[in-house]
Amino acid sequence: MYFWILPGKEKMSLSRFRAILLEELYVTRHSLEVIMDIVFFPVMNVLVFGFIAQFLIGSTKSNAGNALLAGMILWQIVYIVQYSMSVSSLWNIWSRNLSNIFITPISLKEYLGAHMLSGLLKAIISFIFFGLISIYIFNFNIFNLGIINLTLFFINLTLFSWSTGIIILGVIFRFGTRIQALAWGLIFLFQPLTAALFPVRILPHILQLLAYLLPPTFVFEAARNSLAKPGVNWEMFFIAVIENIVYFMLTIAFFNYMFKKAKDTGQFARNEG
Amino acid sequence: MIQNVLEVKNLVKNYGSYRAVNNISFNVERGKIVGLLGPNGAGKTTTIQMLLGITLHNGGEIRYFGKEFTKYREESLQRISFASSFNTLQGRINVMENLMVFAGLYKVKNAGSKIFELAEYFEISTLLKQKYWDLSEGQKSRVNLIKALLNDPELILLDEPTASLDPDIADKTLSFIENLNRKNSVSILYTSHNMNEVTRICDEVIFLDMGEIVARDTPLGLTKRIVESNLILTFDGERKKVENYLNEKKYKFSFPKPYTVNIEVEEKLIPKIIFQLGETGIWITDIEVKKPTLEDVFLDIARKGKNVAK
Repeated sequence: MYFWILPGKEKMSLSRFRAILLEELYVTRHSLEVIMDIVFFPVMNVLVFGFIAQFLIGSTKSNAGNALLAGMILWQIVYIVQYSMSVSSLWNIWSRNLSNIFITPISLKEYLGAHMLSGLLKAIISFIFFGLISIYIFNFNIFNLGIINLTLFFINLTLFSWSTGIIILGVIFRFGTRIQALAWGLIFLFQPLTAALFPVRILPHILQLLAYLLPPTFVFEAARNSLAKPGVNWEMFFIAVIENIVYFMLTIAFFNYMFKKAKDTGQFARNEG
Repeated sequence: MIQNVLEVKNLVKNYGSYRAVNNISFNVERGKIVGLLGPNGAGKTTTIQMLLGITLHNGGEIRYFGKEFTKYREESLQRISFASSFNTLQGRINVMENLMVFAGLYKVKNAGSKIFELAEYFEISTLLKQKYWDLSEGQKSRVNLIKALLNDPELILLDEPTASLDPDIADKTLSFIENLNRKNSVSILYTSHNMNEVTRICDEVIFLDMGEIVARDTPLGLTKRIVESNLILTFDGERKKVENYLNEKKYKFSFPKPYTVNIEVEEKLIPKIIFQLGETGIWITDIEVKKPTLEDVFLDIARKGKNVAK
């Protein structure tokens, strides 16, 4: 078996895939916490940064305000996808339901795949919503970046967030809920490192080198460039995609190892107390 | 031909240097109910976790329906299920939603009508729209059982399924399990601390202690391994005479009350004792024979270890 492939030879089942999506929908619908985390806080972020952007546009007459708001809207994709990947399993661990799910015939591919799709759907819906907010409140249309640009940005930001989410999930499975804060905290480490809200050149040189190892950096740079001079930066897209593919393969290998270790040490079953 | 739905061969689990399960082997035949008993820390939970694939074993083999579990995980898990009083479902969503999710995971056809049917039997139809975390422990146990029955399993692993049920529902649940076993030949691996339940429903009992199988037999067969019964006699007359007789015959005895004696004796010697005591002029007013129960076997194993019941 290749290390970057999830175990299991079984054919994916649409029914099981749908069941996980259904659970996601039910939990999201019934949980004020989820609504707060993936709707309220992101909306507040967009609003606050929208107003800061307005202030910057008024006082500096530059494009910095729009770049800031675009960065914040695009950042929400990273946040929502990663949050969805990591925290969804925590809801089941807290309910002591995760092992119930894993004693059904569901495979890791189906389980992770369904959560990946769920995160992507949430991010798309949220992005459209934030886009509309920014049009109506701040007179800034992020959709002007163009469908090609937005699709490419989505591909790279989502791939990165899936990887981050799966890594955190692996760590939670392996070490239990004592490190659960990573699920909603770790991603913020990447906000400055990927230069989501400012040009990479602002970062100290050493951090710039680090930033270019992170795929979202290319997305945020490309978005800012495109705001100043419309167009698609394929070079940045491909660099980010290659990085993402490498990271995703390493992520799956890491997750496989952590999952196996969690089952070997008994931690996976113990996670639910 | 006997068909094993589950075969466990030389199963081993180590946690670091601690061996939680030591080389255990057993089978569950189609249509049989097998009890897996043992004191806390005996290795029951670890064994069940390995049987369900959520804990990896270090050695040995698990085969469901003749196929190796690790190679045929999906097929095996589609045909078995698990319910426990201690596992819970997703608390934030309602009962129907929870069961629909599991119906999807097991690819159940006509899931809605099946859930309604089972909910009716277990008297929780009115709870289907309630959030799972609002249910009482007993109600949760019933929902867990319904979840375990959704995929028409051929083998069910039940971990203390009646632990938090009131006697009426517990009895109903046991009857349901018995019916399921009788009518559909569903096999069951059953753990419980309620020895009456185990005696009632199990065809075979496996005792685990310190990770090893220390006894395996029918419930009756296990109780027969404890040869001594308790003969409790209440008498009218001189206690000294009774004491002298019992000392002379070297029986083990005690006096729980001044004129009541408890004699630990092999069952076959009971008529002889009663007769001989009568001959000494003692007037016996009450006779009670307490035969060993599965509980006694359990206590023997738990207190004295593996040498007792073998």
